[in-house]
Amino acid sequence: MASGGASVDRLHGSTDVRLERLKGRLFEIALVAATLVGIVSLVVLFGYIAFDTFQPLTASIQWYLIYIGTLVTPTAAFTLYARRHPPIREANAKAFAVIGGALLVSLVTYIVADALDPYDVLLYVLFGAIPPAVIGAYARRSPDRTYTGPAVVVSTLVGIALAAGLYGVLRPIVGIIAQWVAYVGIVTLPVGAIVAQSVSRRWSLRRAALAVALVLVGTLAVAVGALVAGIEPSLPVVLFSGAVVPIGYVVGDTVANEPEGRIGVLGPFVLIGSVALGAFIERSVGVQGPESYLTPSLLLNSWHGRNAFEAGIYPQLVGSIVIVGFMSLLAFPVAIGAAVYLEEYVSDSGWRGRLATLLEVNISNLAGVPSVVYGLLGLALFRNTLGFGTGVVIAAAGTLGFLILPIVIVSAQEALRSVPDSLRQAAYGMGASRWQTLRTVVIPEAFPGILTGTILALARAIGETAPLVIIAVATTTYTSPDGLFSTAAALPLQIFAARSHPDPAFRHGIVPATAVVLLILMLMMNTTAILLRNRYDRDTHE
Amino acid sequence: MSEHERTQTQPSTVDAESTVGEDEQSTGARTVIEARDVSVYYGQEQALQDVDLEIPRRQVTAIIGPSGCGKSTFLRCINRMNDLVDAARVDGRLRFDGTDVYGPEVDPVALRRRVGMVFQHPNPFPKSIYDNVAYGLRIHGRTDELDERVERALQRAALFEEVSDQLEKSALALSGGQQQRLCIARCLAVDPEIILMDEPASALDPVATSKIEDLIESLAEEYTVIIVTHNMQQAARISDQTAVFLTGGELAEYDDTDTIFEDPDSQRVEDYITGKFG
Repeated sequence: MASGGASVDRLHGSTDVRLERLKGRLFEIALVAATLVGIVSLVVLFGYIAFDTFQPLTASIQWYLIYIGTLVTPTAAFTLYARRHPPIREANAKAFAVIGGALLVSLVTYIVADALDPYDVLLYVLFGAIPPAVIGAYARRSPDRTYTGPAVVVSTLVGIALAAGLYGVLRPIVGIIAQWVAYVGIVTLPVGAIVAQSVSRRWSLRRAALAVALVLVGTLAVAVGALVAGIEPSLPVVLFSGAVVPIGYVVGDTVANEPEGRIGVLGPFVLIGSVALGAFIERSVGVQGPESYLTPSLLLNSWHGRNAFEAGIYPQLVGSIVIVGFMSLLAFPVAIGAAVYLEEYVSDSGWRGRLATLLEVNISNLAGVPSVVYGLLGLALFRNTLGFGTGVVIAAAGTLGFLILPIVIVSAQEALRSVPDSLRQAAYGMGASRWQTLRTVVIPEAFPGILTGTILALARAIGETAPLVIIAVATTTYTSPDGLFSTAAALPLQIFAARSHPDPAFRHGIVPATAVVLLILMLMMNTTAILLRNRYDRDTHE
Repeated sequence: MSEHERTQTQPSTVDAESTVGEDEQSTGARTVIEARDVSVYYGQEQALQDVDLEIPRRQVTAIIGPSGCGKSTFLRCINRMNDLVDAARVDGRLRFDGTDVYGPEVDPVALRRRVGMVFQHPNPFPKSIYDNVAYGLRIHGRTDELDERVERALQRAALFEEVSDQLEKSALALSGGQQQRLCIARCLAVDPEIILMDEPASALDPVATSKIEDLIESLAEEYTVIIVTHNMQQAARISDQTAVFLTGGELAEYDDTDTIFEDPDSQRVEDYITGKFG
């Protein structure tokens, strides 16, 4: 039958159908190749840097065997075990997050406060935090809270201005106390307040008072112990109240209240224990480890121009953190404010609308301006016009702030635009004013997106080199910055400078090791952002 | 607009009960919303033409008509949601309890606290059920007896039994019908006088729709409900008055729901009701 034969032919497919399919296959292969080119080159690059940094070939076989036995096997076994049981895996992740986070936050706080002078930091923290705390406590008892929000903001600013104005009078008074007492004010008191709030919300006020007393007594005991042992008590005090207290609180809470997953909190301790065991065996057997350039002395020493194994990048590390920290304070409020105005306030029509469109086009273009040009702007503005001096923290922070401004504005606008209009309508329909709609609905909903944008901007800023060269940030300093107007060094500049050092140990050891430090710093910031965003998304959408 | 036409657009209940006629004084107690020559323009385009109608207190008034006839536009005039559209312009006079809604001294934010609104698609905030209902109370600074007010609002919206043990869960975890009743509860929590509903059941399945309809009927004991719907059976089932808008943004007829559906004056309305067009 003719018609039946034709339909069978049609089902078999003709040459052009096969050709189309072949084209599709080739296209897919080309896409896979494109993906692999990028990823493989990055992996090779990172492998190369890591190889130069850690020098894995210099270690003996025994060294690897020791660590495979003590570190890799138990950690991998525990991780595999935890993966099979969701509650244990969750407790494990929680324990890692709190231990990593608490250690990171308290160390960074200590490093920054130590560089900027703990007495100054204490002064500004007290004057910035006590007025809003008092206003908040007062507002909790009064029915009318209309003015609480603005009062908190204004009182913080007034407090900081007051501290700056009365600095000459107050600084000697604060200077009387021991340095570790200043750290009690900077770290222990805020931690105590957070613990008190959390405990009183979950249990009772009496328990909260007890918990705070425990924290204070513990801190005091640590300080006294350190004094007796003859150690400067500042770092122990910070580590106890900033890390041990929150870790103890979260781990203890998990062990007590989540019986199914409580074994999971052992995860980080397994890791720490196996590293310690490995180090102990290594020390007692005396095997040859790798001659890594990424050592504690690299992180903690100051720069040394002649000996690569004594050179350290502590001032550069602190400089990068301080510069990026001040930059965040300067740039993020401005950028997010601009984004909110452009997205939520400006009308679409009329001369304002046209002006806004013009602004938006220009902001998108500014995001693509080469960073060297921003360096010139910073040089002209901060050194030549405002006379801030060469390569000071505030000039570097300001220049990098200008650089990331358009990036943050554009990403924050995207985030605000993605908030569904129906939510705004709902809030307006309830009789919310525009400000209330923004504060209670739009900004909380856009917050994860805004956070992602700011973190990307931070990562860009911390690695930026060219503008710092132009505003003449020192490539090599031997001390950390001690204020807004002191000279600072930054990690990327040190990489740039060490690259042309005559000693190959610098070029092929210190440079990749510093790059690894910079990458780890960036990675930690990104991880923090992702964790915060996921946490926030889960809180609002489950 | 001539006197004759104006008479025609008066609801007959008002006619029957107020002996004086269709003057403003007579309508005071019964009428809560009074529109006179209301026209709305979006840029050059006219969305509403000289609408005249009076909406009685504590009854359900349905607004029906084909798509694009301006029924939602009229609804959004009442709580000035059209203010949010840059190009929108409103002419004529619209009175709420005798006060001109578009008068210079009227704050739209204050107005919307007395005229609540429920939208076509359920739009709960991405917060907990409790926080959704408490939202209006919190932004208005009425945080005393919050728990009781939230519970009462949920009960009046016939949702409390279903969610009483999960008030801290996200509102987005509820089903579509529950979300819409939550939106109604959110609106009721602040004790508005009028509730505007813009096709509140059009995104819901038949079971959820019938729950919403039951709810609307019970709400009319305490509130004035104005509901836009394109479902004529729904209008016939739940409303006391019906306004029919036809293409071009004109009000074709406004009367008792029974009269509209059984014996409408105009041929066009009859054609629309019986499904000959629209």
